[in-house]
Amino acid sequence: MSGKRALDTTIEVVTPENIAFDYQLAGPFRRLPAFLMDFVVRWCLIVLILLPLYLSGLFLNVFAFGPFLIAATFLIYFVISWFYGTLMETYFNGRTVGKWITGIRVIEVDGRPVTGRGALLRNLLRIADLAPMYAISNVSPDVPPIYMIPTGMVALLSMLLTRRMQRLGDLAAGTMVVIDEKRWRAPVDSVDDPRVPALATYLPLDLRISRSLARALAVYVERRSQLTPTRRRRIAKHLIDPMLDEINFRPDIDPDLMMYTLYYHAFLKPDRSGDLHQEEVDLSSLRGSSPLRHTVQLRTGENRDSGFENEETEGAAVLAAQSSGGHGFLEKASGHLGDADLTDEAEISG
Amino acid sequence: MRIAQKMKDRQPQWEELEKLCDAMELGGKTNRAVGGQYSGAEGIARFASLYRSACADLALADAYQLPPATVAYLHRLVARAHNQLYRANRINPRRWLDILFSEAPKRIFQDPCVRISSVVFFGLFCLSMYFAFQENQFPGYAEIMAGDQALQQAEASFEDPLDAGFGHYVTMSGFYIQHNTGIGLRCFAWGILIIPCLYVLASNAIQLGAVFGYMARSETSSGDHFFEFVTAHGPFELPAIALAAGAGFRLGVGLFATAGLTRWDSVRENASRAVPIMSASAMLFVLAAFTEGFLSPSPAPYVIKVMWAIFSSGLISFYFVILGFPDLKELSVPSGNQEEDWDAA
Repeated sequence: MSGKRALDTTIEVVTPENIAFDYQLAGPFRRLPAFLMDFVVRWCLIVLILLPLYLSGLFLNVFAFGPFLIAATFLIYFVISWFYGTLMETYFNGRTVGKWITGIRVIEVDGRPVTGRGALLRNLLRIADLAPMYAISNVSPDVPPIYMIPTGMVALLSMLLTRRMQRLGDLAAGTMVVIDEKRWRAPVDSVDDPRVPALATYLPLDLRISRSLARALAVYVERRSQLTPTRRRRIAKHLIDPMLDEINFRPDIDPDLMMYTLYYHAFLKPDRSGDLHQEEVDLSSLRGSSPLRHTVQLRTGENRDSGFENEETEGAAVLAAQSSGGHGFLEKASGHLGDADLTDEAEISG
Repeated sequence: MRIAQKMKDRQPQWEELEKLCDAMELGGKTNRAVGGQYSGAEGIARFASLYRSACADLALADAYQLPPATVAYLHRLVARAHNQLYRANRINPRRWLDILFSEAPKRIFQDPCVRISSVVFFGLFCLSMYFAFQENQFPGYAEIMAGDQALQQAEASFEDPLDAGFGHYVTMSGFYIQHNTGIGLRCFAWGILIIPCLYVLASNAIQLGAVFGYMARSETSSGDHFFEFVTAHGPFELPAIALAAGAGFRLGVGLFATAGLTRWDSVRENASRAVPIMSASAMLFVLAAFTEGFLSPSPAPYVIKVMWAIFSSGLISFYFVILGFPDLKELSVPSGNQEEDWDAA
């Protein structure tokens, strides 16, 4: 177990196709609801099977069928209460009703499906996992001492102490419970901010996005819709600030916008082969401002900056402040939108 | 749009694979997916090829520079498809017959845990019976161990000669299967913690022994009926309890007697060995329940019950000893191999 994995709840499984994929383990807080649901389902099942039997018994001769009905009651109770989990898990590929609802599944520790023997063992041993029993009569003396509540401490302890979060039954059967979710988030494959493609044209041509940076960018962009603008900027600032010197951008640029632009550059921008003849990027969204620290040092598309000088002041606010897209703006810019940026501008033009 | 292009290329295939997964998760077949386009062997072939391409996408995810969310999705997709391609094996009845009549007796014959639990159970049972019988030497023993009420109840219920209707037989068979097998299974499950299993085993042995000893006293009026009742099913039921506990001990012993394996590997290995023993025990419990339900309370002559007891004892002996005797071929094979190895060396 490497240090990187210590806090992780994923388990790597190598398939016969020689592909390693990750399973996410299900912890006690997913498995307890599944267990409780199964408990309810078990009793519903018993009632549902017995009710028609008893009803049909009423219409037929009760005296002749009565004993069979009672025997059937015992048998059905026995089979369902002991073998419900085993049968469900073998026939429905490691799932019971509760597991299906909570989206978890039992598999062998090596990633193969659960075997009949494994399902039998892990379900029989649940008794030991639910130990110790707590007698209700401890709190209210009126209740007869036969009513016990299983506390499940053994299972909890065992789950805490094993890497695959297995209870004793799982350990004996060689199984684990994994999350089996279907839903997925499509990657962000288009930008909704017109400033981003325009800004991307100012990035140095030789800018290489490292693999780890690309991953950080993707994670950031996937999650940025869930963050408030302030939070976005605070997070992005740490990543962007050290980069600004390298790419020669103005230090007051909105870090969130920068992250978005870098993401666009790494994942979405059309291939470099057609760089010089690429389709026209609409620069009007920048309203003529340049994000670069020294406008004269522009290395790309100088023909595009031709009309910038007269609109510099207005344009700087676009990069730093709120735009029609509703995206974040520079922290200090929020207070003095219209004219205060002139100080920054003066530095730049000087 | 690099990523959008890649997604456009790949996503239809992934979605199709997902639909096939959906269909297979519900019915185990691909018929209903994608408008019934693929069914039977064709569906499986299509599924397999889609699965392989998804595997390839996952393997190349890094090279493709897919974003992490997509990689996570691919992990889940491959996991899902993998779960369908390598599905759980349905319980095969022949396999279980094999376990019951070939694997189980051999395991029972060789397993020291079964021997220990048998000694504990039958030893305590006999001891307790003796103590309960010798009222002069151990006054009040039976009453303390089995409980005053339980003893009087047992005595009262066997006052009359055994004679019950057919309905009673059926009902009681059902009850005994549920109740006694339940005790056996519980005893087995507790085995992984050893101490509770030992407690269940010992308390059952002592209580049963106390009742038997009490009933055997000459002054107990219903003793004859009681022994007539227990004769028929005893040979099935008593070994069944011992076996269940033996299987349980096998589970628990794996925790510390690891035989060179890692601890959890050892638990798994021992648990797998315990399953056939537990299955045999469950089978005995069910047989005992039918005997206890139908024959034991019936007014059939005592001779028949004794005959059945002898017959069932013979059956069990056959099962444990003849079926369980280690295969001589299996025993000789390893030594033969060894000799060859030495020759080669």
